[in-house]
Amino acid sequence: MSLVIRRCPLCGFALLTAAALACGGEAASRLTFSSSTLGTEGAIVRRQLDRFAAAHPEATVEIRVTPDAADQRHQLYVQWLNARSVEPDVLQLDIIWTAEFAAAGWLLPLTRFSPDTTDFFSAAVTADTWGGTLYAVPWFVDAGLLYWRTDLFAEAPGSLAELQADAADAVARGDAEFGLAWQGARYEGLVTVFVEHLGAFGGRILDADGRVVVDSPEAVAALRFMRTAVAAGGFVPDSALTWQEEQVRFTFQNGRAAFMRNWPYAWVLVQGEDSRVAGRVGVAPFPAADGGRPTAALGGAQLAVNANTEEPELAWALVEFLTAPEQMLERARVAAQLPARQSLYDDPALAEALPLPLDDVRRALEATVPRPVTPVYSELSDILQVQLHRALTGQQEPAAALAVAAAGMRALLDRTGLAPEAGP
Amino acid sequence: MTVSALQRAEARLARRMLAPALGVITLVALVPIAATMWEALHQHDLRLPWLGRPFVGLANFTEAFGDPRFGEAVLHVVLFALISVPLELALGLALALLMHRVGCGRDPVRVLALLPWAVPTVVAALVWRFMFDAQAGVVNLVAGAGGYDWFVDPLVAWIPILVADVWKTTPFVAILLFAGLQAIDPALEDAARIDGAGPWCRLVTITWPLLKPALLVAAAFRALDALRLFDLPYVLTAGGPGTATEPLSLYAYTALMQRLRFGYGSALSVLVFVLAFGVALLFVRALSRSIAGEQA
Repeated sequence: MSLVIRRCPLCGFALLTAAALACGGEAASRLTFSSSTLGTEGAIVRRQLDRFAAAHPEATVEIRVTPDAADQRHQLYVQWLNARSVEPDVLQLDIIWTAEFAAAGWLLPLTRFSPDTTDFFSAAVTADTWGGTLYAVPWFVDAGLLYWRTDLFAEAPGSLAELQADAADAVARGDAEFGLAWQGARYEGLVTVFVEHLGAFGGRILDADGRVVVDSPEAVAALRFMRTAVAAGGFVPDSALTWQEEQVRFTFQNGRAAFMRNWPYAWVLVQGEDSRVAGRVGVAPFPAADGGRPTAALGGAQLAVNANTEEPELAWALVEFLTAPEQMLERARVAAQLPARQSLYDDPALAEALPLPLDDVRRALEATVPRPVTPVYSELSDILQVQLHRALTGQQEPAAALAVAAAGMRALLDRTGLAPEAGP
Repeated sequence: MTVSALQRAEARLARRMLAPALGVITLVALVPIAATMWEALHQHDLRLPWLGRPFVGLANFTEAFGDPRFGEAVLHVVLFALISVPLELALGLALALLMHRVGCGRDPVRVLALLPWAVPTVVAALVWRFMFDAQAGVVNLVAGAGGYDWFVDPLVAWIPILVADVWKTTPFVAILLFAGLQAIDPALEDAARIDGAGPWCRLVTITWPLLKPALLVAAAFRALDALRLFDLPYVLTAGGPGTATEPLSLYAYTALMQRLRFGYGSALSVLVFVLAFGVALLFVRALSRSIAGEQA
């Protein structure tokens, strides 16, 4: 280079500038990533991001720490994205947020990368699609499970009536204080429990055209069943109306309830050293009543790319890397999270990696139903939560409560221009 | 002439010296209130950016008045104020009279009486939630009502909120009234005693009328706090069951910060402000009447 500079100072200057620009370009290949970073999840994310950085020497990836409580993370994301922030480039989204963020124009449409979604659970892909376009890639999935005690029952209940009878028997025999424990506090968890009862009776919240059908006779029957269960003399304790996941888990883990409805995360804990029921627990899909089918609420996390990212190609590379089979298997082994790819469930490596009984989990995953895929989901859910809780605490008849909820939802869809007649 | 010139100069100086304080108040109080009122006239939903931020006039207020959840929330805070404030005034007065009478160990007694007021409300609310817990709570343990859940009945769920509020704010009322008692000239009491007035007669004819301004101030502070009730239900019941214990401020918070409906949430905040402001005016008027009556 010294030769060049001596012969042609200008050329040398150009070369130096080019070198500086190249350095600048390299420094600009910086990705920011926001996800759950607590405990084993944080450890596994950091390990995988390091591997990604090693494979892409031009890139650095930074973690943007966000609150772990879903509501707070949602609020923060909305503030960032609404302000057109370029960070974080890649975001972990809850399954119920994708439509909202996509409709707001905050997510990069992923069609331009022609992603292959055939391997992912279709319910999750549905939840990640808005207006026919894919906006996020399923990362891991969650399914509501019925936990049952293998020492109290010979097999998992095959129907809702059997579940009710088994639960009542266990209490009558003195084997457990409560029959069944579920999440009944006024929050999103209550909606997932309701979705499972709803499916069990053959009802839905929105029909295929997006019309509100939560006041249908099936839905009223489902809510009546829940109300009878939790009312005096029922098989669900009334305290369940203040319980979220952890209180339900404690109750079951201390041997006080014969059944529990909970997510897969509880498995490792109820089988752990602190648990009084370790080694005596099985899981099954939540059973159906006549006219319905076993239904598991679908939860889980998605990865999406910020619409304002300065590094779309690199951000997509990170999404592809994190959702690749190897990374999902590692996540299953370390954090016990269920892969979103169906093919992995045929892989003996998963059976080995996952602490949960794979066949039962797979049956539950096949029964998964997404919650309504709409940009106003959280408001829809808020309306429903209030009315469900009013009905379950005996402040209103189930049919009347669902009629109020349905009216509120229809008004909301009209107000936001999302009503099926008007079209999205 | 010179006197009025002097007065004018004084007034000018006063205005100049008040200016910084007025400026700060404008900046931190008036501007945000005006901005909130302006926002309340718009439809602005952070989660529905495709709807834009159109000016909608009073539509948000119309929606609030047709919203049963809003009406219930107003009812909740008004009823809560009507029940909690008299309780706190009665208990606070009793405590103040006790503190006034106690001869030895005055300071430790006063410090002990003030302790609940010193505990941050959220911390106190958490402690009360544990005490009212159905399974492990000390309340059920003492009452022998194991397993009774205080938070699933729409009326019973108010009891922990009421108890926590009374426990927490009675000391505040007591200390205000205690100061009022200290200000009463003991000579009046002595004179009445010499004239043969009994303790009840002295309380009704001397202490009560002279304590009235202090009572009104305490009632005003408590009533305004009760109308703006937020933290106790937020921690204890989250407004539930259903929305049976949801106060107005919590509903405004939910609309604004959780549902991110900035327009509607701002309209609700303005209504909270109007309600509190109206009640504050009533108290200011009652207070000036009471002071005027005393002087007459």
